[in-house]
Amino acid sequence: MRVVIAEDDVLLREGLVLLLNNEGIEVVAASDNADDFLAAVEELRPDAAVVDVRLPPSFSDEGLRAAVTARRRLPGMPVLVLSAYVEDSYAAELLADGAGGVGYLLKERVGKVAKFLDALHRVADGGTVMDPEVISQLMVRRRADDPMRTLTPREREVLELMAEGHGNRSIAELLVVSETAVSKHIRNIFVKLGLPPTDNGHRRVLAVLAHLRS
Amino acid sequence: MTDRSGHGRLRQWVRRSMSDLRRSVPYLVRGAVTSFGSLIILIGLVVVAALLLVGVGWLLLPPATRLLRWWTGTERRRVEAFTGASVPEAYPPLAGSLSHQIRTVVLDRTTRRDTAWLTVHGLTGHVMGVLAVGLPLGAVNAALVPAYWWILPEHSPVNAPHAVTSWADTLPTPLVAAVYALLALALVPRFASWQTRCARTLLAPPRETRLRERVTELTASRAAALEAHGSELRRIERDLHDGAQNRLVEVVMQLGIAERAWQREPASALPLILRAQDAAGSALGELRDVVRSIYPPILTERGLDGALAALAARCPIPCTLRMDGLRRVPAAVESAAYFVVAEALTNVAKHSGAEHAEVRVTVRRRPEPEEDVLVVRVTDDGRGGATERAGTGLAGIRRRVAAFDGRTELSSPDGGPTQLEAELPCGS
Repeated sequence: MRVVIAEDDVLLREGLVLLLNNEGIEVVAASDNADDFLAAVEELRPDAAVVDVRLPPSFSDEGLRAAVTARRRLPGMPVLVLSAYVEDSYAAELLADGAGGVGYLLKERVGKVAKFLDALHRVADGGTVMDPEVISQLMVRRRADDPMRTLTPREREVLELMAEGHGNRSIAELLVVSETAVSKHIRNIFVKLGLPPTDNGHRRVLAVLAHLRS
Repeated sequence: MTDRSGHGRLRQWVRRSMSDLRRSVPYLVRGAVTSFGSLIILIGLVVVAALLLVGVGWLLLPPATRLLRWWTGTERRRVEAFTGASVPEAYPPLAGSLSHQIRTVVLDRTTRRDTAWLTVHGLTGHVMGVLAVGLPLGAVNAALVPAYWWILPEHSPVNAPHAVTSWADTLPTPLVAAVYALLALALVPRFASWQTRCARTLLAPPRETRLRERVTELTASRAAALEAHGSELRRIERDLHDGAQNRLVEVVMQLGIAERAWQREPASALPLILRAQDAAGSALGELRDVVRSIYPPILTERGLDGALAALAARCPIPCTLRMDGLRRVPAAVESAAYFVVAEALTNVAKHSGAEHAEVRVTVRRRPEPEEDVLVVRVTDDGRGGATERAGTGLAGIRRRVAAFDGRTELSSPDGGPTQLEAELPCGS
């Protein structure tokens, strides 16, 4: 897999390059600002891009805007956004175009290398990866009459993992249950929340996130 | 016992009154001179007022007011020289069209108050001046009459204050001298303080104006405080985000890389673990810097004097530190003073080319508004020419001080020396 990265902190950038190279992922460009990042993405057409939210010159949300721009210029371009903190409205901006291949994770998730690589691959394959932190931000803001309250604890767990972008098999592995059990839970959740049943992919995540944000 | 202490009290009173008298006489004599000046100007104003009826007076109103303002200004300085405390002056500016100026003159209360003072001083100043000279002279004269009354011809005898034409007439003169002396001692200092009070009451801006100005000042300093607070928060967030937070991410990342390396070949993991350890070390360093920039720990441990001594010792240019009457002031003020000195010394070391710097910190009482202020003065013998361009740190100092309703003054002529003085109100 070929990736382009953008991270302004030189030590983190080098660390990320080392980490990815050790895992057999080729870093074709590593830039420290949004403009170089966009140019590299357009020129090199990588399989995925990894970008820090905060980049020079103003150190606000240049990285996030660069990610959105990259996906506007190259629709469906898989982008994994990293940040020191997460904000659910940023996730919404990334997901707004409805195309898959979006990830939004806390920076420190790179430390769990296996999970991080799994996330990167899922994004590159057009999946959606949301940090558990984003999902818990969405889960706490619920109204009293919310149908979410009718979910069983197990169903809530399944919903959170689904929102983070996990597929049925992955959820079954994480919860140590059978895939059929997971499918049953998911059917129940969709009925309880009044969502139309959707296939296993990105659209299911979007539907769940849209419901959580509503 | 009571008798002796009563005696002592009288002596004390006489001594104090003598010194007051010596100070008051020249003041009141000058007052007599300005009183005549005031009368002349008062007459001029009456003429202008009369001319208002025929129209020309309106044209004369603004220049007459300017003259009045200038004249009361000299009086303010006379009172200030006598008492050592300034009499604040606050006039609405006389500018713009003639009609606008006339409106300012007519509507503004200071015009009326100045005129009131002019009248009072014009009518009383010379009387007090004459008495200030006459009473002590009368005392001296009465005391000397027995020595010289016989020199004068009979048809024009000395008056003390009765005509003295025989030795018998001289008998009451010591008593007369004593009465004159007592009157001088009792009255003349009172005249001086009365004249001062009168000028202070009428020539200082009315309380309402002063309060309004104070509100404006406080509003500005509150805005500055909010702004300073906001930019502090942003700076701290930035420092934490770019520093400690990134370093900790690096620790986690290096450990992750090490974990994977260990799974492949355990020996190769060690250098990666050591790198993670280094990153953790620099995270701690960054945190230390942020903590120091929020509130220098040395202030907690050693107080302002100890913290400043450490700063002076760390300065690459020889630096003397003088601290007078320092007491514990609010933590925020101490921390601001610390930053002013730190920033100023950094500037001195970087830009001044000085061979010596001096830091002086004192607490003094400022009159208006009355409260204690911590005065920080940093001087150097360098080349001068310091300005408040962005990035020199001087602008930052001014902002920081303004947030406390304080004042910053920079004097740095080309060729030096440079002096920076910051006044930080202590809030009491």
